Amino acid sequence: MSLSDWAENYPALLSGLWVSIRVTALALGIGMPLGLLLALSANSPKKVLRYVTIGVVEIGRGTPALVVLQIVYFGLPTVDVTFSSFFSAAIALALTTAAYTSEILRGGLQAVPSGEVEAASALGMVNRDTLRFIVIPQGVRVAIPPLMGFAVLIFQASSLAYTIALPELMSQAYSTGSSTFRYMSILGLAGLMYAAITIPASWLTGRAERRMARHL
Amino acid sequence: MTLPATRQSVAIELDSVVKRYGDHTVLDNVSLSVREGEVVAIIGPSGAGKSTLLRCINLLERPDSGRITVAGHAVDAGSEISNKELVAHRRVAGMVFQSFNLFPHLDVLRNISLAQERVLGRSRKDADKRSKELLDRVGLADKAAQYPSRCSGGQQQRIAIARALALEPKVMLFDEPTSALDPELGLEVLAVMRELADEGMTMVVVTHEMQFARDVSDHLVVMVDGAVLEEGPPEEIFSKPGHERTRRFLRAVLER
Repeated sequence: MSLSDWAENYPALLSGLWVSIRVTALALGIGMPLGLLLALSANSPKKVLRYVTIGVVEIGRGTPALVVLQIVYFGLPTVDVTFSSFFSAAIALALTTAAYTSEILRGGLQAVPSGEVEAASALGMVNRDTLRFIVIPQGVRVAIPPLMGFAVLIFQASSLAYTIALPELMSQAYSTGSSTFRYMSILGLAGLMYAAITIPASWLTGRAERRMARHL
Repeated sequence: MTLPATRQSVAIELDSVVKRYGDHTVLDNVSLSVREGEVVAIIGPSGAGKSTLLRCINLLERPDSGRITVAGHAVDAGSEISNKELVAHRRVAGMVFQSFNLFPHLDVLRNISLAQERVLGRSRKDADKRSKELLDRVGLADKAAQYPSRCSGGQQQRIAIARALALEPKVMLFDEPTSALDPELGLEVLAVMRELADEGMTMVVVTHEMQFARDVSDHLVVMVDGAVLEEGPPEEIFSKPGHERTRRFLRAVLER
């Protein structure tokens, strides 16, 4: 392992890191609102909607992210739906995010005391307003620490996109490694770059957890 | 109340209300009439159905049969109730809960203003103005910007009263408003309720505060096992209870 390997190859890896960050951000930006919608329908008083949603979520959580990714990139084109590798990765990770975060958010929504919901109805507020002003703001707040933890996992899972030729961090490290045969030092640098994002993110998660605990 | 009964209109009328949970009958054919401006206290042992009765008045619980009229707005238990009707019904009946149930993520002013904006359609400015007046009235003008968690239990309950009053209800329902408070904090809540009563608000109060029931209420209702055991002027029931069961209950609460 040598520092000169790192000095020579870090620009390629940094550009890969930037792709990883972008694909993760898009996946979370689409997946988490979708997760909230799923969480709300899974709590719906309408039985059919509730069961269908729970079924969809279970399938989504049961399927490995790698399989979803391959289906979107290699499977969908056979039915004439084609996305670039970047959007395939974002969509696949968004679907996994939606399935997992819906469970996290559902727990958060259920943590809002029923007495507050009752007070809102006693004030004549309609269900939609009670969700919007009372339940969702508090439920999401409770869910923020576990959501941040999950975001770290999705950032790491974005490395799976190297299997669909997306030039993200893992794939840049792999191709640089295979052309220089400096696998150990290049992959080591890639690992450090992942850690440079995930470790501070985990600290923030811990801080968020303590903050939330203060308000409860 | 000084006006003769015949000149006062009825604010709340319960007609043969029945409420069951499965096989268990919580309210067994309860009828009750509350005149405008009257303060009715409901007492009785736990499990007697007092809270359920109160919750049926503003339809937080749907009765299985009977008819409920609040400020001229009648609802039959069997009939389908639209959301619009439900909202209209609840607007005229303000409710105060044992556990306050303030919204902890909103500051005190927002707690009182939110429903004014969403239910009455007031502007933020008008709602906040009204909220400040009400906070002043319950003696908490300085708490507007605080969060509920920074207020004592007694203060929180007074805020909850202001929140309910903000919708200009015709009647106020209190479900053991002081039971979660230590005695001293309970007093400040009772003082606000006394004031409300003096101003002529129609009130139904489920309570274990016998002093309050005795001093403030115009009419006392004793409930046991889901039914009204006896009712009448509080002084009369306290001094000469008509039933052995009432006597036993009063002895138990007064001799504590």
